[in-house]
Amino acid sequence: MSGVEWTFIKIVIGMLLILGFIAFNAILLGYGERKISGFIQGRLGPYAVGPHGSLQMMVDMVKLMTKQIITPKKADGFLFWTAPILSFMSVPVLFMVIPFSPSFTVINSGLGIVIILAFSGLNVLALCIGGLGSNNKWSLLGAARAVSQFIAFEVPILLVVLSITLMTGTLSLSEIISKQGGFPWQWNIVLQPIAFVIMFVASLAEMNRVPFDLPEGESELTAGYSTEYGGMGFGLFVLAEYTHIVVASSVITTLFLGGWKGPVFSGIWWFLLKMYILCFIILWIRWAFPRVRFDQLLNLSWKYLIPAGIFNLLATALLVKLF
Amino acid sequence: MELNTGYIAFALYTLIIIAGGILAIFSRSIIRSLIGLIVILFGVAGMYFLMAAPFMALMQVMIYVGAVVVLIFFAIMLTGVEGNEGFSSSRLIRSIIPAGLAALVLILTISGSRINFTSPEELPLKELGKSLLSTYMLPFELISIVLFIAMAGAVVLGFERRREKE
Repeated sequence: MSGVEWTFIKIVIGMLLILGFIAFNAILLGYGERKISGFIQGRLGPYAVGPHGSLQMMVDMVKLMTKQIITPKKADGFLFWTAPILSFMSVPVLFMVIPFSPSFTVINSGLGIVIILAFSGLNVLALCIGGLGSNNKWSLLGAARAVSQFIAFEVPILLVVLSITLMTGTLSLSEIISKQGGFPWQWNIVLQPIAFVIMFVASLAEMNRVPFDLPEGESELTAGYSTEYGGMGFGLFVLAEYTHIVVASSVITTLFLGGWKGPVFSGIWWFLLKMYILCFIILWIRWAFPRVRFDQLLNLSWKYLIPAGIFNLLATALLVKLF
Repeated sequence: MELNTGYIAFALYTLIIIAGGILAIFSRSIIRSLIGLIVILFGVAGMYFLMAAPFMALMQVMIYVGAVVVLIFFAIMLTGVEGNEGFSSSRLIRSIIPAGLAALVLILTISGSRINFTSPEELPLKELGKSLLSTYMLPFELISIVLFIAMAGAVVLGFERRREKE
């Protein structure tokens, strides 16, 4: 078999596995989010369907899929349905370049991190189109918030990625992992603690998670950009949101926590372990912090994260030049 | 001329670009025109891939789709321009002059440049960076000055508005 065909087959198989992985994670995180929320608030969480409510998400998925698809009368139907599809379409591409283990990487690209940065930006575009297409003031306000939030928090992420790139001298995710060792003190987090904090906070804001979920702040905007969506339109937005949590955790694991390397038996299990711990922390934060006000959110980025990121970048450049 | 995957990809990207252009010109609402623009930008990104410049292609997606289009969205959202004019013959005649000028410049540039149809090779990113900071130093610095002026202008405008309020 020639090289091109083999690559093609590998991409198709990888795509199918990735779609399965996305669905599995959406179910796991959806169930986890409700159960963890329940335990943190001293409730039981879902309990009725299956043992400990573990089949609740299956029932919910059937509900979402079988619901009638409604397009509001005053909405622009084309834009209204482009948005959720665009939101979900960009997500499988993000997983293509993530090195889960040395052997399980769909595309071992030399530009891995750039691919992730480029295609994760499509999500905000989808929110914009959805918010504008709904022809609803809450949706419009949600979309406007999503855009300003995204622009504000994209800059610190780029600065952090630039620092890591300067340090490792590569944009390839698998090479960034190979420059780190198995033990925690060999990870990038030790050399770049400021960068790790900036990356984590900015990622939270980029994927609209609490305490930065202002685009859909339900106490002010009903549900923000997704107000008018029901059924699978809403389902696709939620699927994309959960997948972005997994992608952000994977990227942070790769950049800062040594990826698939562990003290013993390096492999995909270490990657998944670190990734799910980060996912758990992201779900946990939801109940640890109240939602911030919008000016506080923008100040956090422009006045604290970006200066810290620039300082970190300059310090990294200086140290890389010296040693 | 044998039919290989390169030609198929070229045809596909050309079709995408043309379809996006048609959507951008003929749609009635300005937001739909913007969707057409996004489609065009994706097609151009594909063209960069075809020219063995994946970094350029990804930057095209990241900067144009991820930032510029989002900014245009923001401008439309804040100014609230409906723009339900659509396609009319008077606008066509008026817009032929600038479009014709742009087309003339493009045709002159393309016919004046030497294009070779050998399959290009991917340049390592390090070479790209080195040439940006040696051979193309002056244009690179000029672009940064242009961007800096725009940024400074935005800050000045922001301060002036605040002073007026006080």
